[in-house]
Amino acid sequence: MGTLRPLPVVDDHDTEGFFAAARRHELAIRMCSACGAVLHMPVAYCRQCGSWETTWQPVSGRGSLYSWTVVAHQVHPAFPVPYTLVLVELEDHPEARLVGAIGGRPALRAGQPMEVWFESVADDVVLPQWRPAPDEDGTAGDPHDT
Amino acid sequence: MADDDAINHRDRCAISGIGATDFSRSSGRSDLTLAIEASLAAIDDAGLQRADIDGIIRCDMDNVRGNDLIHALGLRDVTYLGENGPGGAAPAAMVGQAVAAILSGQATNVLVFRSLNGRSGVRYGQSPVEGARVGGSGTYDEMFAPWGLMTPGQIFAMMARRHMVEFGTTAEQLGRIPLACRARANANPAAQMHDRPLTMDEYLDARMISEPLRLFDFCLETDGACAVIVTSTERAQDAPRPSAVIRAVAQGGLADPQPGIQFPVLMRESITTTPASVVSEVLYRRAGLGPADIDVAQLYDCLSITVLLQLEDWGFCKKGEGGPFAESGAIDLGGSIPINTGGGHLSEGYIHGMNHIVEGVRQVRGTSSNQVPCAETCLVTSTALPPGSALILRGA
Repeated sequence: MGTLRPLPVVDDHDTEGFFAAARRHELAIRMCSACGAVLHMPVAYCRQCGSWETTWQPVSGRGSLYSWTVVAHQVHPAFPVPYTLVLVELEDHPEARLVGAIGGRPALRAGQPMEVWFESVADDVVLPQWRPAPDEDGTAGDPHDT
Repeated sequence: MADDDAINHRDRCAISGIGATDFSRSSGRSDLTLAIEASLAAIDDAGLQRADIDGIIRCDMDNVRGNDLIHALGLRDVTYLGENGPGGAAPAAMVGQAVAAILSGQATNVLVFRSLNGRSGVRYGQSPVEGARVGGSGTYDEMFAPWGLMTPGQIFAMMARRHMVEFGTTAEQLGRIPLACRARANANPAAQMHDRPLTMDEYLDARMISEPLRLFDFCLETDGACAVIVTSTERAQDAPRPSAVIRAVAQGGLADPQPGIQFPVLMRESITTTPASVVSEVLYRRAGLGPADIDVAQLYDCLSITVLLQLEDWGFCKKGEGGPFAESGAIDLGGSIPINTGGGHLSEGYIHGMNHIVEGVRQVRGTSSNQVPCAETCLVTSTALPPGSALILRGA
């Protein structure tokens, strides 16, 4: 999507584990070690049980489409329009959602299966991305299919 | 939460004066100048002198500080300074803070203002990306902006899409909200869209910004300022013009507001329910009123979808029925709950919720350019994404 692409801060105390996992091509979300609560957005303290013990838990990389928008008005040169932002609910933990971007205007429907893939955007930055999961007939979702 | 929190402030304070500048795309003057103009107009409208002002409350995103206005207006007796936010969540809360200051004896005449060069100066709704790296430090922008999710409009588009998925809401139903606001603006000489009618075909044919939201689903970036004077209901009786009694005020938010600047709201359990669902409960209880008692409403409309969601969250219709409700004409003049009678943020101007307070006062005074006959109560909301605020005004 262009070289001017804004890169995330990957060493923030609360969110660095997400990007560290992505560099290993793993999808991980922060969870409470004591009670298992999903801490997403990532945070060091569990508001459910009061524990400070948290872990970055690998998750399956499968989800379903919760919402989406086709961006038609460009706001940043690194993101030429149209592109589609997807909001994906994780299969393992539906209370956690992650955002992804798909070029163009893919045909989408609410609840459709989505799968993660990993996009390297800089030496130290890999972004988990989402695309429609292969249908039962084996047709693969293509992130660049417009 | 105290059960008797209602009686502690109900009807005890009033807005005795209102002031506004012109609304434009390029004011040609500073934020401070706009704030001075609106403040002087409000002070004059309240029948006061500058020296009578002993409290000032600002919005956290305003470029004008309390000391700026104290100095500029030559105030000598300001003993209460307050601030509220974030941004558009402030206006009703600022008035509530003035009520608290007055009832606790910390001030008698409080100036509440919002001033911004929202078009010619700092424009909101742009990309948060300033350097090569984005996010961190509790903003959580790093979890969104690198994917190209960069503006509030894109968040609201996700919410609108989800509402369409869950409830079958249509573009034509959503479009009734910008059309209602535009029709009110066409009768309001101060509205930026006064001379520009809008038809459903024009709404639907306008370019998409972030599907399913089109150009006219977005508010108007605006230069301008609004101010009001809050005082005790007793003192307000001496004012030259009818005052608007503050029936009740409230702030509140969802149990899972989510952290950060804005994007994490997409992690809320439901993105089709807004903080208004909580604020409404508190405010109605404090006011001793319900949705059926509200004659007219000024609903915070940074985007059309926020109005649709609020129609539901304020109980004017059931959850999910905002689309058919808007389509029924209920929100138009003559409907059961006319909204945004000055034109709202969508068609009058975006003074970050503050022009809604001013228009609310006009309605209960009986001086609106789109006067709702016999309007005795007006709901004014300052609530979109973050924990927000609202108030109910009634005629004196």
